[in-house]
Amino acid sequence: MMKRHGPFWLSLIVGIALWEIVGRSVSPAFMVPLSETLGRLWELGRSGELWAQFLNSALLFSTGFLIALAVGMPAGLLLARMRIIRIGLEPYIMLLYATPMVALIPFILSLMGFGFAPKVLVVFLFAVFPILYNTVEGARSIKPELIEVARSFRSSEWALWREVMLPYTLPFTMTGVRQAIGRGLVGMVAAEFFLSATGLGGLIMTASQNFDTGAVFGIILIIGLIGVALTRAGQAIENRFARWRV
Amino acid sequence: MSTPVVRMSPPATFAARAGRALSPATQARLITGIAILVVWELVVRAFAPPYVAKPTGVILAIPKVIVDPDFLTATGITLMAVAEGLLIAIVLGAVIGLLIGRSIVADRMLRHYVNAFNAVPMVIVLPLVSLWFGYTGNARLATIVFAAIFAIILNVADGARSVSREYLEVARSFRSGRARMLIEVVLPAATPYFLAGLRLAAGRALIGAVVAEFFTAIGGLGYYILYTSRTYRHDEAFVGVLLLAAFGLAFELLVNTGTQRFLPWYRRDEKA
Repeated sequence: MMKRHGPFWLSLIVGIALWEIVGRSVSPAFMVPLSETLGRLWELGRSGELWAQFLNSALLFSTGFLIALAVGMPAGLLLARMRIIRIGLEPYIMLLYATPMVALIPFILSLMGFGFAPKVLVVFLFAVFPILYNTVEGARSIKPELIEVARSFRSSEWALWREVMLPYTLPFTMTGVRQAIGRGLVGMVAAEFFLSATGLGGLIMTASQNFDTGAVFGIILIIGLIGVALTRAGQAIENRFARWRV
Repeated sequence: MSTPVVRMSPPATFAARAGRALSPATQARLITGIAILVVWELVVRAFAPPYVAKPTGVILAIPKVIVDPDFLTATGITLMAVAEGLLIAIVLGAVIGLLIGRSIVADRMLRHYVNAFNAVPMVIVLPLVSLWFGYTGNARLATIVFAAIFAIILNVADGARSVSREYLEVARSFRSGRARMLIEVVLPAATPYFLAGLRLAAGRALIGAVVAEFFTAIGGLGYYILYTSRTYRHDEAFVGVLLLAAFGLAFELLVNTGTQRFLPWYRRDEKA
């Protein structure tokens, strides 16, 4: 057990020690040691500020992400049943999937200003295209024979969706969901940086303007951990549905 | 093989090509494209303020923008920075990736760090790099490297691990040295994975450059988009966005055709 996990723990300790030593030997304007970072984080946590901004960010992310899911998935499935529209729209969906959405932030800023809605729009735009693109991809992979068999057994449209369309496309949609979680997080932080400075991103902005390096590192650590946790969750969801793939 | 050769007589090819140009799929795509543009134009004309980008405005802006020296310099600066950052990410990423892929100890020591950094939303480094490098081109370069390197490390590591054991055993039984084995067996086997990583990395590098320019306001294509849209010249700004999308697509095509041409032995599983 120790031999297997030895290198892992060793490297973790080396990483922590490096952070502490480098942090102590350079100017605090550049980097602060881990101990000080955690101390600063503790203060922010106790004052309630960290928690409030975390909730703010979480609300932004989940609103944008859920709208993306509610739009992307039904739209993808609908496109799957309307073949000619799907063929027509496919290249444009791919184009938008490949376009760096950050480039649209300045337009959103000058059109919609600094409220909550433009930030939700940013998260939505980052997250919706992976879901839509992968759902359409999944719908494309349904064998036409399956639909024909369902039809020849006089299946209703509802039964066709429930028994063929959904089970076949859901694993693909979940790949999109995993990608969308990562992109949505980037969108959330980008919105908090470039639109109005709220949430955890906003907290970083104020901290860096006040040269509060400890808080900058601390919140980056928190967002990093959130990123790791959400990515894990996304992978777990994807793997769960991957078993359905034929 | 003989039947297709017979069918490929010149007139038939010509007819096939003409037929393909007017295939229902192409028609559907063209009509949808035109419909999108028309709806966009009408919606903007009816509801949005006059400075908002619309297709006719963007098309009219293109000839003006692509001869604008400011725009050309900005594009050049950003592309150079992306190329430089990608190069650093490729060299460093390939070395670390090979290490992780071929050494179990290195894998156990480094993989969780790489996975963690890869999961971190990349824009988060902006306050840090501007703190460390100031509002300079180096901050942008650091952002690009950070954005690109983890995709390369992870893919090269997967590739280096995927080398089939038989190849290594054959090389070993011919008394091949470790270095030679790495260069002649492991590297070629890892190349398709590397290219898949490079495709991801290039897109992220471009995004990294743009967000770094937004954040630090240093000159480049991202800043051009920011500046022109702030001064209510959305049509011109949108030409910049189109160019960014075109770079992304062009790189995708480049890597795809490169894989098909130079690595024809490589079959991707997802194609089957």
